[in-house]
Amino acid sequence: MRNKPVISIIIICGIVGLVSCEKDLPTHLEYKDYSFSSADENGGAWQPILIDQGAAITIEAPEDISSDSYMAEILTLKESMAQINTSQKEALAYWGNNAVVRWNEITLELIAKYNLIPGPNEDGSYTLPNPANPNGPPGFPFAHPPYACRVLAYLSVAQFDGLISAWHHKYVYNREAPYKQDTSISFAYEANDIPSYPSDGAVLARVSKRVLSAMFPLEAEYLQKKENEHLESLLLSGGNVPSDVTAGAAIGDSIAQIALARAANDGMKNAQAPKAVSDSIKAAAFARFGWQWDNLEIPARPVGLTPLFGKVMMWNVANVEDVRPVAPPALDSDTYLEDVAILKEHADNMTEEKRRIANFWQDGLGTYTPPGHWNRFANEFMVESKMNPLRSARTLAYMNMAIMDAGISCWDAKYYYHYPRPIQTIEGFKTIAGTPNFPSYTSGHSAFSAAASEVLAYVFPEKASLVRGWAEEAAMSRVYGGIHWTFDATAGTDQGREVAGFTINVAKGDGAD
Amino acid sequence: MTRHLIFSIRYIRKMHFILNFLALMFLMVPFARGQTPNDALMMPSKNICILLNYDLGQFDRYWEGDYLRKNETIATVDRNTILPMAAVGILDELNFYIGLPHVKTSSSEINGGRFEGVKGFQDLMLALKFKALDKSLGVGQLSLFTSIGYSTPASNYLSDYLPYSLGFGAPELSLRGIARYQLTNGFYVRGMIAHLWRGYTEVERDYYYNNGSYYTALMDVPNAWNIEAVLGKWFLNNTLKFELNYAGLKSTSGDNIRAYNAAQPTNKVKFDRLGVSLQYYSPSIKGLGVVGYYTNVVNGLNTAKFSNVGLGLTYQFEFIKNNYEEQDAQ
Repeated sequence: MRNKPVISIIIICGIVGLVSCEKDLPTHLEYKDYSFSSADENGGAWQPILIDQGAAITIEAPEDISSDSYMAEILTLKESMAQINTSQKEALAYWGNNAVVRWNEITLELIAKYNLIPGPNEDGSYTLPNPANPNGPPGFPFAHPPYACRVLAYLSVAQFDGLISAWHHKYVYNREAPYKQDTSISFAYEANDIPSYPSDGAVLARVSKRVLSAMFPLEAEYLQKKENEHLESLLLSGGNVPSDVTAGAAIGDSIAQIALARAANDGMKNAQAPKAVSDSIKAAAFARFGWQWDNLEIPARPVGLTPLFGKVMMWNVANVEDVRPVAPPALDSDTYLEDVAILKEHADNMTEEKRRIANFWQDGLGTYTPPGHWNRFANEFMVESKMNPLRSARTLAYMNMAIMDAGISCWDAKYYYHYPRPIQTIEGFKTIAGTPNFPSYTSGHSAFSAAASEVLAYVFPEKASLVRGWAEEAAMSRVYGGIHWTFDATAGTDQGREVAGFTINVAKGDGAD
Repeated sequence: MTRHLIFSIRYIRKMHFILNFLALMFLMVPFARGQTPNDALMMPSKNICILLNYDLGQFDRYWEGDYLRKNETIATVDRNTILPMAAVGILDELNFYIGLPHVKTSSSEINGGRFEGVKGFQDLMLALKFKALDKSLGVGQLSLFTSIGYSTPASNYLSDYLPYSLGFGAPELSLRGIARYQLTNGFYVRGMIAHLWRGYTEVERDYYYNNGSYYTALMDVPNAWNIEAVLGKWFLNNTLKFELNYAGLKSTSGDNIRAYNAAQPTNKVKFDRLGVSLQYYSPSIKGLGVVGYYTNVVNGLNTAKFSNVGLGLTYQFEFIKNNYEEQDAQ
């Protein structure tokens, strides 16, 4: 029986060891509060996207800092800061000094939550999400890559324009932050010299809540809670008084309305074409080229994903046909047959490295999609470069416009050429990634990634070769996954780079460089 | 061995994740017969029992949350497991176990996904079983056992490729209590309860959704409770054993599979499984045994409705004595 104590020791050590090793996994980008690398005092003169200039949105002039009302605001602020509770302290730490990152992460999370493809009904039919009946089933929206890139573009552009307007008024009125007015107030973050009226944080909170509530109608309550928490944090940080916040929120309201008006008429509501239109698009491609892509799911989906996304209004390209790539190789050409051999070779010789690449960039159903993946990189770079909120919003606005334009161009090619996927034309072919419900040529991952990487290379020149390498790896990941031809990937990469060039040219002229 | 276990336990991390039901297939099904960490049999000191088991699991429906659904994108999924395992009698009251399953998965040919299956070695399993009590009680014999097990992935398989993944891709520490009461006429009942501590599985993407965003390649595989209840009887002069069994597993945390979406290792898994098994020890070839079984998952949460059939061979011999004979021969 001498073994008995040994067993007990093992058991006790095991339980203690397991419990003590539990730790939390990261649910957002964790960064230390930082001192902004620039204040961008002339940011109010930068060229916005949706409005003519920052001054186009007007707000009331603030009360003087010597006024009774301002003094009362400071007094109330100090009282509430003295009574701060634990959850409010956690909120301060969470929102940090660059809420552009947090609202972007909230967006990525909603995309991942809603990026679920409707399954078949019992009778083999499919029901599509309907904005007129958002509860469904299926719930609205299906946040697929075209939907996701559009959400991100409108959010980022509206944030950027709102902050340009805020910067304009900040340096017109030059009202210092409460913690500068009263040294007994300690600021929750690193001090800066950016005036506090109107509050840039309040612009972000209000415009983000409004744009996202329109795009994710079932999340209105959750987003309102987030906005309230953010607005409260702005006060409790010691950085804003209520009148700063009210003025910032007013700018947020104005610019959100302008952004959503554009969104309502950009053509997206027609993108998920009815079956008759979808069939005629397919027939036109077959008549033109002698091939057509077919959905091979069981039961087959009657319509591919957003056949008319290629008709959606672009941000910085005048005509989508100007950037349409050349036709893919015919199905009896040597180029095509060489690609069949390449895909078979990858499938037969799948290595751990190829598998890792296919999975790392997959960003498929249930995730934040490829546009989301690039936003995550941008967030990390923005924090690393200690960007202020205005410059962060600029980075995301140009990147997400380029990503959306690349997506529109890619979808134009997909449904114009209607090219089959590898599983359709290679007998017995199997994949390690899910084959999406839209034509093959060109690759969306390739176009999205190339466009994103070009804008990031422009904003962060020191990262240029890194991000371009990532974009090429993302493109090849689809070939390793068995769901794209190599020419889908290379043409998609070229297309994304070309399309991004239009956006980068606009960025170079906006006054920020 | 003890030192290895303590080391492993101390440094165990919640490291990586997949389908608990897959783990179940290899942990519960083959090990539930023969001399295993789960049962109430002990190897005598200086004896080894070798088990070679083949298991075929199949499903064409699974529970998405508590909704039992079909999915023609994966159609029918096959799971073939070959498990070699050894049980070593260190002392009459203390046995050591080691096993390494090889698993092959695939979809039936006609499916909408055209997904490639996978194959390879799954998890190395080590366990110690200790007989704590063996005494006459009333008209029968009561025996109590405890076992502690540790398993860890034996190859770089991807746990985040459900439903084809080989396993859940994380280390697991299990602690079991087993009780058996056997009558002189050969009837017996056996109960087992276990807690399974599972670590993290490392996947090949560094973002996933688990009721919220996770910016990491680590997925938390939920811990679980595992219970078994068995009614059995020995026949033919204690050479044939027949068992009816129930096995249940319940994760203590985790998320649901989302609508028409792939399962992932973070899912909360529950199931109830019923089975029968027969084990026969050959009186003519000393030490040889044959085991066969069938099990079916009858109720579940975020798990496949698996049916499994298995066939195994066991062979038991005295290893110390054999070694001496070999030395003598030299």
